[in-house]
Amino acid sequence: MSPRETSTRRRPSLSLRPRPRTAAHPITHSKEYAFDQWRETPRTELCRDSEGSAVEEMEPFPEAVPRRRSAKSFSNLRHPMDGLVALGRRLSVTLRHKSSKNNLQVPGEAEDDSRHYEVAGHSSHKRNVASQSWDKRSRAWSNSYSINRRPSLNSVTALHGFYAPTASVPAPIPGHGLEPPILPNDKFAGSAARAAAAAQNERMEMVKLEMAKLEMGKLERELLPRASDVRLDSESGIGIDLRDRSDASDTELDLLRIDPVSYLPSEIMAQVLSYLDPVSLMQAELVSHTWNGQANSPHVWKYVFRSVYTRRPISSTATKKRQQLGLGKAVPHQDWKRMFLVRRALDQRWKQGKAAAIYLHGHKDSVYCAQFDENKIITGSRDRTIRVWDAHYPWSCLKIIGPPPGDVSGSGPVNNPAQQATGKSPFVTICPPSTPSAGIVTPMEHPANYHSASILCLRFDEEIMVTGSSDYTCIVWDIKDDYRPIRQLVGHRAGVLDVCFDDRYIVSCSKDSTICVWDRKTGDLLKQLIGHHGPVNAVQLRGDLVVSASGDGIAKLWNVTTGACVKEFPSKDRGLACVEFSEDGRTILTGGNDRTIYQFDANTGELVKELRGHTGLIRSLHLDSMNKRIVSGSYDMSVKVFDTESGQLSVDLPGWTTSWMLNVQSDYRRIVATSQDSRAVIMDFGYGLDGIDLLEE
Amino acid sequence: MATPQITLTSSDGVDVTVERTVAERSVLIKNMLEDLGDSGEAIPIPNVNEAVLRKVIEWCEHHKNDPPTAGDEDDNRRKTSDIEEWDQKFMQVDQEMLFEIILAANYLDIKALLDVGCKTVANMIKGKSPEEIRKTFNIQNDFTPEEEDQIRRENEWAEE
Repeated sequence: MSPRETSTRRRPSLSLRPRPRTAAHPITHSKEYAFDQWRETPRTELCRDSEGSAVEEMEPFPEAVPRRRSAKSFSNLRHPMDGLVALGRRLSVTLRHKSSKNNLQVPGEAEDDSRHYEVAGHSSHKRNVASQSWDKRSRAWSNSYSINRRPSLNSVTALHGFYAPTASVPAPIPGHGLEPPILPNDKFAGSAARAAAAAQNERMEMVKLEMAKLEMGKLERELLPRASDVRLDSESGIGIDLRDRSDASDTELDLLRIDPVSYLPSEIMAQVLSYLDPVSLMQAELVSHTWNGQANSPHVWKYVFRSVYTRRPISSTATKKRQQLGLGKAVPHQDWKRMFLVRRALDQRWKQGKAAAIYLHGHKDSVYCAQFDENKIITGSRDRTIRVWDAHYPWSCLKIIGPPPGDVSGSGPVNNPAQQATGKSPFVTICPPSTPSAGIVTPMEHPANYHSASILCLRFDEEIMVTGSSDYTCIVWDIKDDYRPIRQLVGHRAGVLDVCFDDRYIVSCSKDSTICVWDRKTGDLLKQLIGHHGPVNAVQLRGDLVVSASGDGIAKLWNVTTGACVKEFPSKDRGLACVEFSEDGRTILTGGNDRTIYQFDANTGELVKELRGHTGLIRSLHLDSMNKRIVSGSYDMSVKVFDTESGQLSVDLPGWTTSWMLNVQSDYRRIVATSQDSRAVIMDFGYGLDGIDLLEE
Repeated sequence: MATPQITLTSSDGVDVTVERTVAERSVLIKNMLEDLGDSGEAIPIPNVNEAVLRKVIEWCEHHKNDPPTAGDEDDNRRKTSDIEEWDQKFMQVDQEMLFEIILAANYLDIKALLDVGCKTVANMIKGKSPEEIRKTFNIQNDFTPEEEDQIRRENEWAEE
């Protein structure tokens, strides 16, 4: 172990660290955020060294989560055993069923008639059933009247079908379960079926011998008509019913193998197929033409798509504004299969780290915060303005809220190719021209209508936006009324570092080491959560629980109603900068100056995982539970994506901007990261992907 | 008084006596009894033969105390392909019986049984190659190699 860097220099704080791109106000920056350790006695670091080498060893593209594959191989494993067991059971059941039926068999005519009623009365039993029954009749007819007909004579068999129902049948064959084979016209069908049956024979031989004895009497009865067996076309003309039991000795003993697509009505078959996973469904499409027609239906694919990409049930703890899930619109004629293919291609790009970089240029200083949805991206900056951007081409700035900023000239270098060499660089870089500010600035008559200092944090939902500023206040904006300021929340005694809200509360945290809980509707200050010994850098709200992360190195879980601190989640060493609370309220992630992401169980307080890879302070975290991604932005100028299950680094995106990463958020297709270099960058994994718009909700 | 019994007549003309509450797992029979009243006469079930009917009744007996399925939760019904153990064993019958149970459940409007049946068939398909599916159900491959290739290409589509 090398001598500890921190033992001599206790505070590798923001102000001491070299800044890659020195902006105009280098000193004031450190005032705004303080992630320094506030503890008096620094602990000895134990794991920092190994951490460095761990980065080198880290497989940048770990094996992708083989969800579908594992499911498949699992069932492969399971199947043969089940198959054998099932085989035995089926055989016995079949026997029981048959013999009992045999005893109860009423003379053939009745059976055949009942079958006829079924066809007439049961309209939902589609024509396949009908044709089957016609088969029986025509076969019965031919058995008695047409000896030695050739199977190839379609015209003749068609006539049989035509005449069969009206023909009087002196000695019809008992139907349904006991009936002699329905013989396919197709000469190949028989051999194929025999081949399949042969595969069963080995296992079944013993059973067969025994059964043969038992069934002897019945066989003898049936051998007579079978001697005059004739191959018949089925009335439907489809000829998919390939039950081949032409070999008399096998007839009663073979497993019945029936094509469900021809046997079951299509709406029932659709339900069957909708239980499949996408891979199995695609295999089913390849079985035959009729299977293809059934499986390749939007109705089936809708269910299958949704079984993979499902919307979590809305829990009471979820915040109102959910991230975009990329599940598409439930409109008529939606091409669900294509959506699945697009979605799969998109996920592939995430695995490969293949994304386009789109730079939003316009802010004149560090972009501290951002939030986006499918249509817009809202950013807040040290330049005291809030900007609303079009989330689609041409990504223009639609609105500037704040003091008139004046226009920014030239954009300079947007990223750092040297750094990008160690990870994934953009496959295409787009720098939309910066929009002239003249037309998009909202004139503000009163200075009270906007922040008089840096915008440090912002959150929005469908109705309001809340921003927090170095001017110690929050402003609530009406997002539906052209971002009209509704009220200012005054109470903190230092800069407001983070904010979050739900239907009831707005929760803000500050450099003054307190957390304020405000009434969303009235703006009244309801509660102050006091207990941190340093600036509170981040806060999240789920139901009645608030989790906060502080520069003092502790994350605290609070009960909003009582105001009590319920639990503490300490970092190993130094200050915390960011925190994430999973939507289900079970998991808490923290990040900070330890350069490690800590994952805690919110209920037990247990440290579950440590995610490593960053070489600088972790400034921002975003958890996407549905897609199993943790996205982090760091002062090491990289954005990294970790797999929530394995904890492994899956995508490394270094040097996409020229300075510290300050804020990251992701959805199904993109990451929006903001940087100290006065830009926001959209890392768009869906860029140029054919059909990507199908996934928009 | 003992639980009221009703009689069902199968398609092959066999009378089967069953507890009314059991038979009412079938929405069709339940509605019929509600609309017509229990006249004591046998109810004809023209689409289901005796063997299948007895099998269906066996299922209804076992599930007679199940809470009624809540409305039309179509999406929820389809979410999982898990089948409880008893139902798995119950469904270990030959394919024709399985399909007949499904058809009977559909006709008699017993949603839960229809679901179990469909899931059982789905599990026979799941994780199999096309050839394995064909073998399972004795299906002839009627695709030309070109057609097969075309479908595979479409399904393998990733991008570009």
